[in-house]
Amino acid sequence: MSAIPPIPLGTLPPQALGVRTHCPYCAFQCGILMGEDLGGGLPRITGDPNFPVNNGQLCIKGWTAATLLDHPRRVTSPQLRERGEWRDASWEEALDVVADKVLAIRTKHGANANGVFGSGALTNEKAYLLGKFARVALGTANIDYNGRFCMSSAAAASNRAFGIDRGLPFPVADIAHAEVILLVGSNSADTLPPIMQWFDKQKASGGRLIVADPRRTPTARGADLYLQLTPGTDLALANGLLYVAIEEKLTDPRYIADRTTGFDNVRGVALQYHPARVERLTGIAEPHLRQAARWLASARSAMILTGRGTEQHSKGVDSVHAWINLALALGKVGAPHSGFGTLTGQGNGQGGREHGQKADQLPGYQLIEVDAHREKVAKVWGVEPATLPRKGKSAYELLDSCGSEVRSLFVMGSNVAVASPHLSRVEQRLKALELLVVCDAFHNETSAHAHVFLPTFQWAEEDGTMTNLEGRVIRRRVVARPPLGPRGDIGILHELAARLGCGEKFAFRTSESVFNELRRATAGAPADYSGISYAKIETNDGVCWPCPAEDHPGTPRMFGDRFHHADGRAKFFPVEHRAAGEEPDAEFPLFFTTGRYKEHYNSGAQTRAVGKLQSAQPVPRLELHPRLARRHRVASGSRVVVESRRAKVEFVAEVTADIRPDTLFAPFHWGGRDAANLLTGGALDPTSRMPEFKLAAVRIAGVRA
Amino acid sequence: MKKRLAIIGNGMAASRLLDELLRRNAGASFEISVFGEESRGAYNRILLGRVLSGGEPDEIALKPNDWYAQRGVAFHAGVRVAKVDPVARRLTTSTGELHPYDVCVFATGSSPLVPRVGGLKSDDGSPRDGVHVFRTVDDCVAIRDRARPGSSAVVVGGGLLGLEAAKALCDLGLHVTVLHLEPVLMNAQLDRNGGELLRRAIEKMGIFVRTGASAEEVLGNGHVEAVKLRGGDVVPADLVVFACGIVPRVEVARASGVPVNRAILVNDLLATQVPGVYAVGECAEHAGKVYGLVQPIWEQCAVLADVLTGANPRARYTGSKVYARLKVAGVEVASFGVSDAEFLSDEVVQVFEDRRGVYRKLVVRDGRLAGAMLVGCADAAPALVQMFDRDELLPPNRLDVLATGNAPTTPTEREVCNCNHVTESAVVDAIRDGCDALPALCDATRAGTGCGSCRGQLVTLLATHTRVASAANS
Repeated sequence: MSAIPPIPLGTLPPQALGVRTHCPYCAFQCGILMGEDLGGGLPRITGDPNFPVNNGQLCIKGWTAATLLDHPRRVTSPQLRERGEWRDASWEEALDVVADKVLAIRTKHGANANGVFGSGALTNEKAYLLGKFARVALGTANIDYNGRFCMSSAAAASNRAFGIDRGLPFPVADIAHAEVILLVGSNSADTLPPIMQWFDKQKASGGRLIVADPRRTPTARGADLYLQLTPGTDLALANGLLYVAIEEKLTDPRYIADRTTGFDNVRGVALQYHPARVERLTGIAEPHLRQAARWLASARSAMILTGRGTEQHSKGVDSVHAWINLALALGKVGAPHSGFGTLTGQGNGQGGREHGQKADQLPGYQLIEVDAHREKVAKVWGVEPATLPRKGKSAYELLDSCGSEVRSLFVMGSNVAVASPHLSRVEQRLKALELLVVCDAFHNETSAHAHVFLPTFQWAEEDGTMTNLEGRVIRRRVVARPPLGPRGDIGILHELAARLGCGEKFAFRTSESVFNELRRATAGAPADYSGISYAKIETNDGVCWPCPAEDHPGTPRMFGDRFHHADGRAKFFPVEHRAAGEEPDAEFPLFFTTGRYKEHYNSGAQTRAVGKLQSAQPVPRLELHPRLARRHRVASGSRVVVESRRAKVEFVAEVTADIRPDTLFAPFHWGGRDAANLLTGGALDPTSRMPEFKLAAVRIAGVRA
Repeated sequence: MKKRLAIIGNGMAASRLLDELLRRNAGASFEISVFGEESRGAYNRILLGRVLSGGEPDEIALKPNDWYAQRGVAFHAGVRVAKVDPVARRLTTSTGELHPYDVCVFATGSSPLVPRVGGLKSDDGSPRDGVHVFRTVDDCVAIRDRARPGSSAVVVGGGLLGLEAAKALCDLGLHVTVLHLEPVLMNAQLDRNGGELLRRAIEKMGIFVRTGASAEEVLGNGHVEAVKLRGGDVVPADLVVFACGIVPRVEVARASGVPVNRAILVNDLLATQVPGVYAVGECAEHAGKVYGLVQPIWEQCAVLADVLTGANPRARYTGSKVYARLKVAGVEVASFGVSDAEFLSDEVVQVFEDRRGVYRKLVVRDGRLAGAMLVGCADAAPALVQMFDRDELLPPNRLDVLATGNAPTTPTEREVCNCNHVTESAVVDAIRDGCDALPALCDATRAGTGCGSCRGQLVTLLATHTRVASAANS
């Protein structure tokens, strides 16, 4: 399970790889070196051996990322749908159509009838500008983004516990020095392959890894202790570990007294998680519970890291807070090479959630319902605070109201028709829109329902900043020449804003000028970027926020002496296990859960277009246990129809003893009839509004040999 | 106006009921008061052994004393309820105070069962010094104060509670003898095989066990000096702990005219026959069953809270599947369902590992688990109890379900090519089989045909192992 080693640099002509930039995919944002092939072909890619996050390593997605830059399916002209068919249009015409329709809808139904759907793939500049565009140009409250489907539960819990949310409060390199790591619901060997070098180093120096996951994933296979928990019981597991820690006196009373509040109530709740109860809920045997608690507690340095497996539930926020409670009770948060962190998913999942794409947030994690924050941001934007809309609908609710309250949707960088739960419902809602605009480089399952398609630059064709999973702000640079036709998102927003009567507020000539406004808007905010400049990023391999002044070095490690609540303390919060939105029953007796392949990225919109990746992993395969397979007479390669209360989907079976006998798994990278998310439901977390992607009740409805 | 809800008792059931009520926002519709005989807030009785072995009572607190007031619950600490008048809807405390209520819940739990034994009281009628029960924090503190290293203790009762007390006393350095009436230890949960393994383990810890033995009389002049057994043996003791089981506390209910059988009779709504009066926990008898474990009691509390608050007026309690999971004297024990075949068609699967001290038993009915018992190693227990809960069909080979998925992971071999999962040894084998150039090696193993980033390593491996291979061949 070691990660991918770097190519020896000597094998490629060095002059061809002059530009330091970053991979387009996940939140690890591997440093890459790119340059024009001297023969005039595609830019080539290699890992950047001097970027301290990936140290030159890349995964197969990164190595093949340049394939998309001159892909034959690239869309190069704006398109309008006419009698069901796409036809090319000029930019003038397409933008006029969008602006006219948006204005008509606003006149007839009010400003909130125009919705915006953003993305954790957008640069900080675009995410910031899209939020401003929604609030200032459209005047709508209804903007949200696909990070709601990704990081929102961890973000809400971190904010509640620590007063701030940054995925990792320490550099990823600290992983190598942690004596014990508990990794919950993350298959990072497949989803963040280059991160495994840090786990490998940790193991090589005698560290221990505990992995909790319903599947024995490649990550879990490398663990010293593997906890095969029942889907939807992460919270009970965390409370059960805290029970053991309390019972065996493994907690850190001094840390609890000096640095936290609220432990007494949490102890009262945790003491109700007797191992017998936890075994029954989670399926984890008591000796393994005790082993995990003892390892974590007795280590001088220990980390608890979560992934989507623990977060994408209707109790995702509370589940994450349960892990935080455990980390706090053991005195690990803020200690050297220790603490709690979440492994962010999307490329700019961190920056994307900080800068105002979220229905309730303004740039820098400021809140749209807090008057002081409204005033500050309104001043930077040059508008009256009263004109800023209030809090709008969260992502799934926004999609769900399409065609009723919301009449138009402007989608930038997101493939909602694959990445949302209860897809048949979402598709039906998208079809009911009066106007669906998709800004992307390729057609995807979402644009299949669109009225207007606006072709955009790709990652290597424009510059900007991204914020990786460590909170490190890094530069993405122009490496490739875009084809004629597509435009940059910043320019598109400017053109539309001009047609909506406020072009001057969006008249940015460069990404850097957007970034400089973002710096002003976030000054003094929790995610403070005001001291970060393009030049500073250049000279420092990135800068970690908060960075409140030009001469401030940034903050690679947080919580060393205080947390970000007013009293400087972390907050314990009592959380209780509760049933999922849909537990298996006699009719639908099996758990269904989703995840990712190493070869594909999220909705697959990009990676399914890369030949090498698509041929390695051409279809989603349904994982099921041999015991279940025998009962239903399924063999590897059989076609199995899985049915939930919402849909039926047919998969190719892969029989494996690595999954629980009560659980089915399929990856969610595919759309159409292969979409795993046709099966998942719409139950939402009450706080984060995260849909329950990781658990649906299903049955096997048919088998074809 | 808010209704007045009185909870009689402040043990684990009352504590859970409060949580369930508040979670359903019961504070908006009820003024809740709790009457607790003990002066402290609720604590986790399962962890009493910890207080016995020297822990602070606070460490096992479920609700600190100020918890109640903070949530608007009136906590009457150290107050015993003497009687309930269900017609006037008020209750009387032992000191004669009157408290009106609209709804009253019995959560009085149970008290230790003390068998008829002579000499429990001193000549002046007071309880004999050195005789204890094992039920409350105060009991534990009293036993602890009495337990000196080098002293000897007799524990009467070889069930879970008795063995736990014996272990704690043995850990404190006492000479401990357990007397158990039945021939099998923990006979409520275990059969003869299981009980025998448990006995072996317990004796190995330094505890003496006498099965088929019962106390006839406690001897002593003032304080305890010995226990006389039926049959005549006399066991010297400085300390005697009775842990022979529990009896539901129903005296207040009975005095108040609430129908009682073994315990207070309740229906599926946890209601007694008397309007306005409910009961949950160890003091309640539902469908002929009285539960003594936490899980069923919590299920009752959830239903009662649903019913009382109207959160789900149609919630009904239909009984619980009990799962007993203990670690007795360092021995893992799990048991649920029936412990032996009851019908001719029942199948029994038994795996007895004498040397390892592990015993596993399944009772199968209609292809499904009707019960299981695990002693010595209970790693399979969580998966089994989940199958029992869900009434899942067992695989044709019953032994499959005893295999645990959590076996220690074998160290995986290093992969050279992550894309195609090709290990180093596969690459080396291919080189030794004659692949002496990179393209041939890639074709043969598929290594290097994904992202290609391992080709450098493949070249290194080729360089190293081709030499070795050619040297070996020549």
